Amino acid sequence: MVLTKDEAAAALAEIDTTTRRSGMLKGYRIGGPILMLWSVIWALGYLNMGLLPSAFWSWTWFGLDAIGAIGSVLLAQRLKGQAGVAGKGGRADVTSLRMLGGMGVVMLFVLAVFSVLRPTDPAGYLAFPGLLVGTIYAAVGVFLARRYLLIGAVMFALTLIGFYAFKEYLAFWMASASAALFVSGVWLARA
Amino acid sequence: MAQPDDLIHQPLRLKIMAALYAERQGEPLEFSRLKTITEATDGNLGSHLTALEKAGYVEILKDHVGKRPRTRVKLTQTGSKAFRGHVAYLRELVEGVQD
Repeated sequence: MVLTKDEAAAALAEIDTTTRRSGMLKGYRIGGPILMLWSVIWALGYLNMGLLPSAFWSWTWFGLDAIGAIGSVLLAQRLKGQAGVAGKGGRADVTSLRMLGGMGVVMLFVLAVFSVLRPTDPAGYLAFPGLLVGTIYAAVGVFLARRYLLIGAVMFALTLIGFYAFKEYLAFWMASASAALFVSGVWLARA
Repeated sequence: MAQPDDLIHQPLRLKIMAALYAERQGEPLEFSRLKTITEATDGNLGSHLTALEKAGYVEILKDHVGKRPRTRVKLTQTGSKAFRGHVAYLRELVEGVQD
């Protein structure tokens, strides 16, 4: 078999495309269960906001977020092990630290925004995390993995619909919207 | 200089080998996932897998999950070595490496 330089370059490009597609689908399979976990956290958090006085909100969210963050790291490590991407030489630990760091940054950002802007409408406290999460997923979708764009758009749209159409029941609306996150997780896990 | 591998170079077989090589550290790849990654049809994928299996490049594992039959594919050591060799040949060709 004699190949030209162009044919060899095309074959290498095809290998690269296949490898990237494989990696993206692997990422979906790892991200799916984590999204499902966060859908439960989300549902519990918003139910808490709907049922309990506002004095309890931040502490409950703090506890739920901590559970979600630790659960995400544990799930990611287990799923990466199954997918054969468990780190060599402590790389898994670095990824876990990055994941925890990223979640910490988002939580700090939310707290800082609330602290600076001090929304007078309680619905603002309810809607902002939904809009932020929707935006983050959409950004991930634009730059890395397309399915997250749709997931982000759905979360963003559901939050806006709840804010403008069902403001009085927004906490329960957002808790219900977590079903969409769960379904998204299943969709990713089956990729 | 590395040598080309005629069997691997066929476009779909190249995709199959690339997908399996990317997953070599993990569990065997399910047929349906391999189909998604390579964007192949059932029949096409099956026939090329058979050719690769005959060459000893892949191992096809059949079992059941509950009552559902499951087919999984894994790259063998021979397949892994052959793929690396073919990629090395392609790179040398592109970079203009001579004997």
